[in-house]
Amino acid sequence: MKVIEIKNVVKIYNDSEVQVHAVNGIDLSFEEGEFAAIVGPSGSGKTTLLNMLGGLDNPTEGDILINGFSVSEMYNGIEKHRSRISPVLKTIFRITIIPAVIRGIVKLPDIVKRMKAERKLIDFRLNNIGFVFQSYNLLPVLTARENTELVMQMQGVSKEMREKRTKELLGAVGLGDRLDSRPSRLSGGQQQRVAVARALASKPRFILADEPTANLDSKTTENLLDIMEQLNKMEKITFIFSTHDARVVRKARRVITIEDGKVISDKKTA
Amino acid sequence: MILLIGWKNVWRNRTRSLVVIIAVMLGIFGGVMATGIMQGWIEQRIHDCIYKEVAHVQIHNPEYMYNEEIQHTITDYEKLANILDTLPEVVAWSPRVKLFVMAKTSWTASGFVLKGVDPEKEMQVSELYQDLAEGDFLEGEHRRPSIVIGSKAAENLKLLNYEITSEKLDSIDKEVFSAGLVEKLKTLNKKRFRNEKDFRDELKKVLAKREMNEYGDKLVKYFSFYRMGTSIQVTMQNKSGEIMNLVFKVRGVYKTFNSVFDAMNAYVDRDILNRYTDLAGNEVHEVAVITADNETGVKVADKLSAYLPEQDIMSWRKSSPEMAMYTDFSAVMAYIYVAIILFALAFGIINTMMMSVLERIKELGMLMAIGMNRKRVFGMIMTESVFLTLTGAVAGMIFSGVMVELFRRTGINVEMWSEGMEALGYASVIYPSVSLGNYMGITILVIITGVVSAIWPARKALKLNPVEALRTE
Repeated sequence: MKVIEIKNVVKIYNDSEVQVHAVNGIDLSFEEGEFAAIVGPSGSGKTTLLNMLGGLDNPTEGDILINGFSVSEMYNGIEKHRSRISPVLKTIFRITIIPAVIRGIVKLPDIVKRMKAERKLIDFRLNNIGFVFQSYNLLPVLTARENTELVMQMQGVSKEMREKRTKELLGAVGLGDRLDSRPSRLSGGQQQRVAVARALASKPRFILADEPTANLDSKTTENLLDIMEQLNKMEKITFIFSTHDARVVRKARRVITIEDGKVISDKKTA
Repeated sequence: MILLIGWKNVWRNRTRSLVVIIAVMLGIFGGVMATGIMQGWIEQRIHDCIYKEVAHVQIHNPEYMYNEEIQHTITDYEKLANILDTLPEVVAWSPRVKLFVMAKTSWTASGFVLKGVDPEKEMQVSELYQDLAEGDFLEGEHRRPSIVIGSKAAENLKLLNYEITSEKLDSIDKEVFSAGLVEKLKTLNKKRFRNEKDFRDELKKVLAKREMNEYGDKLVKYFSFYRMGTSIQVTMQNKSGEIMNLVFKVRGVYKTFNSVFDAMNAYVDRDILNRYTDLAGNEVHEVAVITADNETGVKVADKLSAYLPEQDIMSWRKSSPEMAMYTDFSAVMAYIYVAIILFALAFGIINTMMMSVLERIKELGMLMAIGMNRKRVFGMIMTESVFLTLTGAVAGMIFSGVMVELFRRTGINVEMWSEGMEALGYASVIYPSVSLGNYMGITILVIITGVVSAIWPARKALKLNPVEALRTE
């Protein structure tokens, strides 16, 4: 069953006057429970593709369907309300010293609509996608437990459920005894394991991991990949990695190679 | 969780947060002290004005207000006395005869208002008897007609003299004044000076410049004295319009914080004054009334106006409009002071919060990526700012409370400006006064400052694009 469909996606960045084609017409699809790696050299478009898959970025052309939800459509909903102030009013605002408050009031209906549309996208991310970043990105002021609970709290999960799941997850990643440690008291590998627990906390359908092992040594990488593989098999969560780490590639059951924003190979290894 | 993150973020950069907290604390302290000093000053001035000068209510014959002639006494005094005796809000009242007179001593002359009062009744409406520098307030029996004058009037009439005597030299504080200095002062023994300038000139001749600078003021004060019992010849008109002279002995000298009042008001026994001016016992120019508090005074004035439409009845708000204005505007002015202080503080908070946001761009990007909506991001920054300012505010309130209480007991001495301040009627020792309402008001203003100051940094955070934010190093 296809859970992600990437349909002729193009992403163009306007860098000064030069147009950069980060992703250049990619067609791909992912089945539920895949453990896939997107590989390629730096600047090949892996992270851009992953960001679009996570709904963090909008394709310039084409569409991405995640579980039937169109990322482009959600972005268009937001863009539709960007600012519908007439050009005349915009010019008046620009050339006169009209207080920000008045501008705020005039724009308020659009801002509210935009926020509603944006909320749809944010909720979609919150409930469907878990992110694991290269540099862990944990909140340094919160403990491992609090970092893991954060996403569930945003989802409105009850305190008892949060506590139960946090213990389970941190136990599953081997940090059952470090619940109250802050990130500064944890090693790189342990921090990344907390990040994995946080990504899983919201019970997502997909985990998107951008270079998750780049800062880890071999042993820690092996350990982390084993944990992720186990979760993938147990909970049927789809894992998509962006990486150029051979250790991740070896573990992946599907390897997609990208170069210059295009897929040059797509191999299933197991 | 937002509250927890906000609170923990405050302590992320302890030094920076502490600097802002201390700045807020000092700002609050500045605001509270400025408010307290001003409030204390105004309260003292209003209290003195009412209990020493104008009372809560003054009653006059309307004619007297236009033309202060001796014959314009209050009509139907008995009716007025009856009403005042029966009104429950009236605490005390005192009838006064008021004459504009010329006073003369052997050395000089000066004009002032001579008030004929019933000492016992007057002491119930006026606290002037508590401000006696020397003598008493016409109490008990006195063989000769006596007068109580103000310190400034005594000075004008050259009744404030300076003399170095053996007795005073013997009792001088040896720890403050050295033996050498005392020896030098002995050369001026038994010389009397009728004004401060002459005394200072003579001191300058015997003391070194350094000694004069250091001890001059203390010596002038220590060797000064009022010539009690000196005769003052008072020239005035009697009821028939004839000019007549009357001699009074100085029985007391009072000193308030209002040197103009001290120069212009003297008190004698009303019976004696009546005897020489041919005024009857029921002929008075002014009745001063004291009520339970200032606002009751205003209400009593309105009530009396209804009962006695033929009299001119003024509450303290009308007879001393500048005091009424001070009361009305003191709170507003206090808030203006605080607002100025908080406005300056706001920039400190903006700076800190902006630094805090700019340092955490990647973190904010991550939060947005994993599903934190903009409302929560905004709330998080706001909470942080409110916690920061509130911590400073609580510390500031406690510190200010302790300091205000301390100064309320000891007073703040600004004696070096006493001359100028007393010319305006203000005390040279200020006892700050801050009401609970002031504290509450200031706390609310601080919270508003914290919220408003965080809007710009929070807006900056809201505008972040998660993808770009995550790319930041």
